Formats: sequence, structure tokens, C-alpha cells
Amino acid sequence: MARVVWPLRRDQPCVEVVLSFAAGQEVVRHLLADTGAATARAGFELILAESDCLQAGARPAQSVSLSGAYVGSYRVYVLHVRIPNLGFGQSVRSVGVPSVPPGFGGLAAFRFLNRFSYGNFGDPGQFGLEDYTD
Amino acid sequence: MENLSVVQERNRALAQRINEEARTNPRSPYAGKFVGLANGQAVVVADSLDDVVEGLEQIESDPRRTFCIEAGLDYDVPQSIWWGL
Repeated sequence: MARVVWPLRRDQPCVEVVLSFAAGQEVVRHLLADTGAATARAGFELILAESDCLQAGARPAQSVSLSGAYVGSYRVYVLHVRIPNLGFGQSVRSVGVPSVPPGFGGLAAFRFLNRFSYGNFGDPGQFGLEDYTD
Repeated sequence: MENLSVVQERNRALAQRINEEARTNPRSPYAGKFVGLANGQAVVVADSLDDVVEGLEQIESDPRRTFCIEAGLDYDVPQSIWWGL
């Protein structure tokens, strides 16, 4: 069972993911881990800057409707997301938005976090993910 | 080869029809599946998004001419995002 933890960022929980851009470049994005963002049956798992989505492949998926911090219909893209220390690497749907939370590269919504066990694992200064497999 | 915007519109229209079918008919072959479209046709039906992407990569090299949908979700219900509010 693999576990990876990150220190809080701006006193908020975050997860670190690696995106593969079409040019072959790999980039790290720190995402605000928000279990209250969307539902387990949302049509997306991440929210990223649209420019990142386009550089990471631009394969379109069904658009979604958002409310709250973002209002209206937004495009969704399929991109490959890795968390190397967790052995995770899969296709994931991300909403593309014009702006992301300050200090973060985007947001990890509940459907993404819910793939894993998540929490501070006994240390209030950190947040982490653990996979389900033995 | 068809114009990109025409292909994208055909993909979106077909995805909408597939999703409506999946939502109204639980016995639809698309219900609960991930579906990959390329150039206006449904070409991959799978249980995972990874499998759909793998199939699409073998069929169409330009990702902009493809489209993915998880059939059966209600995409019109707004999903709440609250950071910063």
C-alpha cells in the first residue's frame, strides 16, 4: 500500500500531480485538495487552467455546468495525470478554466480524491493520499 | 478530410444523443460506459477512460477530432465549486 504526503500549502491541503504536455515536457502542478468540490458522479475530477489542458493534449470531453466560484458551462479535457510516488498514472478529465485558486495550479475535486484514501494521516501539517491496493 | 469545426460539432451532437439514450434506457449498450467518438462516429465503448483513450489513439491521431463521454451522467446539473467564496 503506497502513501504520499505533502505539506500544507498556504495552510490548505494540496496534492501534487505531473502533467505531460504535448511537446514532451512534464510539469508539476500543486492542486488545492477540495473534498467539497463537486460530487462522486461529476463529469470531471480536476480543475486546471485551460492553457494547461490544451498543452496536455486537448482531447475534448463532455462539457459540464458549474456553480459557485465558477458559473456556467465549461469545457472538459482528457489528459494523462501522474502521481509518481503513488504509482498512479491514468487518463483523467479536467475542467479548463480561465483562473485557478491563488498559489495553486488548480483544484483536485472529490471524484479524484475519492479514488484514494486521503487525509492528514495523523499529522495536521500535511495532507496525503494512499492507494487502496495491498 | 472534413473541416475540424464540423467534426467537433458532429462529435458533440452524437455524444448528446448517446448520453440521452443512456439516461433514458438502462439497457442501452452505452449506459454506464465510457464512449469514445472519432470523426462523428462512436468507435470505442469501454469500462474505463484509459481504455477509451487507448482505442482512440489507434484510430485518430488528432485528439481534437475525438471526443469522450461517460454515458449516463447528468451534465446539466451544476456542480458546486466553493473555493474563494
